[in-house]
Formats: sequence, structure tokens, C-alpha cells
Amino acid sequence: MRRTFGNAALAGVLLLLGLAPVALAQTGEETAPTEDEVVLRVGTILDLSNDNPWGVVGGYDWGVATTQYDMLLQFSDEDLSPAPGLAEGCEPNEDRTKWTCMLREGLKWSDGTPLTSEDVAFTFRFAIDNSISVYRSYFPFNPTFETPDDRTLVWKTEQPTFAPDLPPWVYIVPEHVWKEYDGADKKEIKSAPNTPSVASGPFTLTEWERGQGWTMERNPYFWGPEPVVDRIEFRVFDNQEAMVQALKNGEIDIADALQPSVFRTLEGEEDIATQKVISDWWLNLAFNFGGQSKDADPHPALHDRTVRKAIAMAIDKQEIVDKVYLGLANPGDTIVREASTYWHLDIPADQEYPYDPDAANAMLDEAGYLDTDGDGVREDPESGRPFELLMPASDETTGAVEAGQLIVGYLDAIGMQVELQPSSDGKMDDYWGSGDFDMYIWYWSGDPDPNYQLWVFASGQCGSWSDGCYSNPDYDDLYYAQTSIFDREERREVVFEAQEFIYRDLPGVVLAYPSWLEAYRTDRFTGWTPVPGENGYLLPTYNYNSLLTVQPVAGAAEASSPGLPAWIWIAGVAVIGIVVWRVATRGRRERDLEA
Amino acid sequence: MGRGYLIRKVLHAFATLFFVVAFNFVLFRVMPGDPISLLTRSERLTPADVAELQAEYGLDQPLPAQFVNYLGDTLSGNFGVSLRSGLPVSTLVGERVWPTFLLVGIGTVLATVLGVLIGIKGGWNRGSRFDTRTLYGSMVLYSMPEGWLGMLLLITFAGTLGWFPAGGFDTGEETGFAAVIDIANHLFLPVLTLTLGYIGEYAIIMRSSLLDTVNEDYITTARAKGVPDRLVRRRHAVPNAFLPTFTLIFLSFGYVLGGAIVIEVVFSWPGLGQLTYDAINQLDYPVIQAIFLLTSAMVIAFNLAADLTYGLLDPRVRHA
Repeated sequence: MRRTFGNAALAGVLLLLGLAPVALAQTGEETAPTEDEVVLRVGTILDLSNDNPWGVVGGYDWGVATTQYDMLLQFSDEDLSPAPGLAEGCEPNEDRTKWTCMLREGLKWSDGTPLTSEDVAFTFRFAIDNSISVYRSYFPFNPTFETPDDRTLVWKTEQPTFAPDLPPWVYIVPEHVWKEYDGADKKEIKSAPNTPSVASGPFTLTEWERGQGWTMERNPYFWGPEPVVDRIEFRVFDNQEAMVQALKNGEIDIADALQPSVFRTLEGEEDIATQKVISDWWLNLAFNFGGQSKDADPHPALHDRTVRKAIAMAIDKQEIVDKVYLGLANPGDTIVREASTYWHLDIPADQEYPYDPDAANAMLDEAGYLDTDGDGVREDPESGRPFELLMPASDETTGAVEAGQLIVGYLDAIGMQVELQPSSDGKMDDYWGSGDFDMYIWYWSGDPDPNYQLWVFASGQCGSWSDGCYSNPDYDDLYYAQTSIFDREERREVVFEAQEFIYRDLPGVVLAYPSWLEAYRTDRFTGWTPVPGENGYLLPTYNYNSLLTVQPVAGAAEASSPGLPAWIWIAGVAVIGIVVWRVATRGRRERDLEA
Repeated sequence: MGRGYLIRKVLHAFATLFFVVAFNFVLFRVMPGDPISLLTRSERLTPADVAELQAEYGLDQPLPAQFVNYLGDTLSGNFGVSLRSGLPVSTLVGERVWPTFLLVGIGTVLATVLGVLIGIKGGWNRGSRFDTRTLYGSMVLYSMPEGWLGMLLLITFAGTLGWFPAGGFDTGEETGFAAVIDIANHLFLPVLTLTLGYIGEYAIIMRSSLLDTVNEDYITTARAKGVPDRLVRRRHAVPNAFLPTFTLIFLSFGYVLGGAIVIEVVFSWPGLGQLTYDAINQLDYPVIQAIFLLTSAMVIAFNLAADLTYGLLDPRVRHA
């Protein structure tokens, strides 16, 4: 035991030193950028969970797929209306049961293989035959697909539809790669490896290190204008603060998915610009009308529109925007998201329900919902049931729980006692399925086209997409009417009517339209194309066009990773080594002296 | 060492491991939140689809049958697939082992070596300036929340001063020796946080066990014999005082693969801790189960190793 400790310490240090070559071996064959390559470095909080277009789940999956794959038609930069993608256009016949799409000339996949209408038809058939549920809604009325020649796709349906013109948010994949998965087990399809990928977009996924990040490199066969950027490095950060520091010290060029609090700290920083993206989701307070299961027993008074209106008027949406989102949101009104600028109805301020708790109290008093036992909580006169409401709120939806806390206070002021129940999305699903709640706070997102969002409120969506099994035949008429109007402007009139109807009938309350937040270094890259419109996403979300226009600022420094240079490390390790050696051998030296 | 002792300890370890395996299974089935609905919440499947998925993941069978399947799978190294990404759990876990081993391994070695040395010096010269300062310093560091300390170091050194990167394992753009330096730069702050967080623990325990030893008769005898102070410390006091610290060190190594969850999240370090954090947030049961099993197995294994080697070091235990 005499020299054991010193030797143990020495061994420890040698072990540390010995790890260096092992670390070297572990780094593998990562490709390093060449001197002249233009590299864009993106920081994000959202990780990539699945690299294959059939398995897109969440996180950054959609962003990667949108960057590397094309769709039949694209979402336009200005307002997400259909624009030429792989197809130059799609023309319908008279009764809109047959659409003919013309693909561009000379399309190729990133491995050089020609891209033909067969690939498009294959993709659509694959989605339908293999029941890829995330794309299901884009193929109504049992469509069939024909390819009379390499550039022509014919889409036929049993009933009139505008499905091809939505455009369908389906990524076109190469038949020669995915053929072998057709008909396979769904688990196998979704876990099929797709890095490196074969795609048609401007960049393809070439490397993926789970938990760390991924790399996308320029596709030499891309049909569109050649991007200046040669490669994009994505880095995943587990917390906001680290990502912000990385942006500030130049490790990354652009940061994605920022939270309001850190976003505010970046405003006014030198060389950093912030982008408050127009909202494509909304925070939703949904009322429950019951009928999901035998556990569904929501408060009966919620069926009374007066009660719902009183609740809506008791909520201070502006305060939610200010306190929960630090002003980085807009107060909500209608159900079609703001980002669908063509379809979103903005109700004029003087026609909205005002924030007026006194009026709300008066309304409830007049309707007979009085507090008969003086405990501060109103009761329903018919059932005698007090207004004690259970309100789950998704803790995975930014701001939902905080807004819920404010709402508890607002409703307390009108004599309703609300129990807030923060829940994971898994638990929210349980509540939704059983109907064992009175109202809940969650979110809605969706497509640029309003059809899906409007559909959610139709009768018959109970147990499918509906929040609280709301059902109103007058609304259904409006919804189905707009599905068969093919003139855009005419259809918009009905879509506006539908939104107004929902606003007045209150199956829920649209609380807020929170902005998505991005920030980038102005001294590195310029020429971003925001989509849709000026306040749009800088990073690929609806299309990849921003990556086609972005380029380095003249004379810009390249992103670099700070750190101590090699010589300091070597010197430090040497010093430590020497110290340990001396301590360890001191015993021997002393014994030599004693001898 | 008696064979009885050896066999008893090994059997005990296996029994504990089996209990952990069973408990692991029960615990995650009992938790609220149904994994199928989580997996498919963005898809709104028909009941037929849900039934199909349940059959696929074996969630439609009665619990005892699920348990038997689970045991069989675990023994054959099949930990299922991730509910979120559909990738095999063993792959997902396997690729995280190295970064965690690197981070927690180095941090633990540094914390133990330095902590023990500080504890020895402090305990031997009790009441000295060195002792007082390091004792208070150790207590402050040990009671500091790791996450907070990590954030502080991140903001100061990576943010304000810009000396180190703000997170991640490496930039992925270097090769050869430059890659090693790159990793070292990324490793510096997380290891510093971990080391500072645990150094206090070892220092305090080593110090107090040394203080106990100092009052023993054999120390007085050695001094009376005229043995120089340094040798009394090195040959008589420290070896005997070292035993409790030794047990602690072994147990700490058992936790190495559990990953320092908080530190990995603060520094975006792609190890087992980060994987655990993500999996728990996403209710990705198969991944959580596999990690917990791995961590438990490591702790049990190192516990066993500690028991066995303790017997080697301390004859009193061996012959009990």
C-alpha cells in the first residue's frame, strides 16, 4: 500500500493521456469542409428524430425533409399559395375530377438518375397503399394516377376536388430507392435509414450524429438556381442559453426556435438581427361538449353560449400576449392561422368581444347563474352544479401553462373556480380521448390551406380531430360549401363566413398567435428570403427558397469554435504530468535520502 | 477470502439485478400517459390503426405476458425500438456511451484524485489555513446545484469571455490530432463543472475519516518511535483512513454511465444523460427502460466489486 496511492494517481493521469488516441479513433471519418467551401452553421433546439420522409414525427424532421425533397407544387414565398415545384402547373378538367400536371424538363435525382412522373405517381401510391397517415388527408376520393409520359402526371378522382392544387404536402421520393419498402411492415418503412439520402432538393442529408447535429450538402443535380452555400451544419443545443451564447460568440450563424425571454436579450445586440416570424399556430382554449366516453361529464352550462361568451369576455388576451409571450405574439381571434395571409380573417377590433369582466358578470347574473351559497362560486340553476372546472393544459406547448395560470385568475373574477392541470402531451391525449375535462389549453397548427383547420370543427370529428365534440349543422353547411368552390375569391368569402361563425359560436377561444423566433448574425450571411412575406421564416419551413438566395457578407469571418489552442493543452498536460510524477516518486527519493 | 463470502456477494448482486429488471418493467407500465397516443398524437389514427400499433408494440397483451416477453428480450439484448424514432434502442444507447464515459469518467477521476489529496492535506493539518479554506470551499461547492454552476461557467467562459465553445461534443469539422484538441476544448467546461461539483464530497469524507484515524493508538506509537510525520501519514494513517473513501469512489464509478443528466443538458453533451432527458420528455419507454437498466447494472456491478476488493484490503472484513 506504500506507493499504491502515488502509483494510482500516476496511473490515473496516464489513463487520461491515453484516452487521447482513443478519442482520435472514435471521431471516425467525419468529412471536413475544404478551404473554399461556404458553410452555413445553424443552431437549433429541435433535434432530428427521423431522417426519412415517411417517418417525420416532429422536431426538425419537417425542416430537413422540406430542404431536401421537392413537392409536386411549392408553397409560394409571398403567401403560401401554390407555385411551380417539380411541376410547372396542374390544370383541371371542367368538373375537376381530372388534373393534369406537367413536370419540368430535365429533372434529376441527386444520384444522377432522371426524375420522372413515375416517381411522383409512385410516391402518391406509396403513401396511400402503405397507409402513411400523416399524408392521408391529401388524397380524398380514392385518387388514381397515370403517367402517359415521363413529364405528365394525371390525377383522377371519383368526385370533384382541388386536392392537387392545395398543394399536397407530400415529399416526392425516388422510386428506385423506396421500391423495396413498398408493402413492407410500417415499422420497417419508418425506420429505414436515409442518410445519406437521394433527393431532388438543393441540399441532401449527408451526415447525422444523433444528439449532436447533422450536415446537409449541396446537390449538384438540383433543377433550380445554384445556391452559394455549399454545405449546412446543424447543431443541436439542449438549452436556450447555450444556443444564444454560441450565436453571440460566433459559433453559429443563425439560431432557430428561440424562446421569448432569450429573444428579448438579443434585441439590440451588435451584429445580431432578430426575426419575429408571423404565427402559423395558435393557442387554443377548447370547451368540452361531452360524448367521448362514459367518463365525459363536462359542466352542462358550457352548452349555453352565454356562458361561453362570458368566459371569452373575462379573458384579457392582451395581458396573455404581454406576460406569457413578452409581447412576441398577437391576440387571437379566428381559427385560421395568421401565416395563411390570404385566408385568415382578422375581425375588426370594434367587432370583437371586448375584455370586460364586469359585463361578463352581468351577463351571467342575468342568465341566472348565481352564487346561491355565497362561496364565491356560481352554480348552474338547473343541475345545482357549481362552476368548478377542470382545465388541463399542455406543458409541451409554449405558454399554455402560463396562460392557464392567468385564466384561473380571470375566471375567478367572474365566479368560476378553475383547476389548472399541467400535463404532458401524452396525458393531454388521455384527457381528450376520455372527455374527462371541462376545457383545455392546447394548440392548433396545420396547413397553409384552411380546409383542414375548418374541418376540425365539423360534426363527426368527435373522436377524430375535434377537441370537445362541438357540433353545429349550420357550421357544417358552411364547411362543406367551401370544399366545392373552385374560384379562389369566391371560396374565400365562405371561408371568412365560417371563421366568423366559429368566432361567434365559441366552441373555444383562440387565445393568441405566438410568433416563431429566429436570430442571425448580420456580419456573416445576408440575402435571406423570408417565407411567407416579410415576416416569414428565414430557415426552410414551407419551402427551401431562402437557402437559394442566402450568401456570405463580403469579407465576413467564418464561424469558428472558440477554444484553447493545441499548444496550451499540450503544455498543461505536460505540467500536470510532471507534478504528478514528482509527487508519486517523492517517496522513493526520500527513502534514497534516508539510506 | 472465504468462498462463502464470494458466493454470497455474487448471488446477492444477481438477485438485486433481477429485482431491478422486474421493477423497471412495472414502473413504466404504471406511469400515466399512454405511449401509443403519444406516438400518434399528431396523426389522429382510427381505432383500427391504434389496435394495429398496440399489437406491433406488444401493448395489447396482458401484463404478465408482456413481462415474459420483456424478460426474454432483455436477456437476448433486444431492447426494442424507440417509440419516437423507430430506431433500435441498443443502437441509440450504444452511440451515447462513449461521450458520457469520457465526460463522467474524466470528471470522476479528477474529482476523486484531487478531492482525496485535498482531504488528506486538510485533515492532517486540521485547523490550519489550508484546512479551513478547503473545508468551507468544499462545502460550498458540494452544496451548489450543478446545473446552476454549469450555467454560470457557460455564460462566463463561453459567453462573456468566449474562451470555450457553448456546447456540443465537437464541431465535427476537424480530423486527426486537431479533432482531439477540438473535443478537449468542448470537454473542458463540462468536466470542470462535474469535477467542482463532486470534489467537495471526496475531500470532506477523506478528511473526516483521516481525523478519526489520527486518534488511533498505532499512530501515537508510530510518532513515539520517531517516524517522520510525512511517513506516519503516508504509511499508517492514509491507508487506514482510505477505506470509506474507497467504497465511495467505487460506487461513484458505478454511476458513471448514468450520465450527469443536468450537466449534459446544460452543455448539450450528446451522452446518456441527454438521451435520458429527451426520452423522459417524450415518454419513450423502451429507451428509458434500457438506460435505467444499464445504470442499475453498473451500480450493482461496482457495488459487488467494491465488496469483493474491500475484503482484499481489509482483513477484518474478510474473516468475519
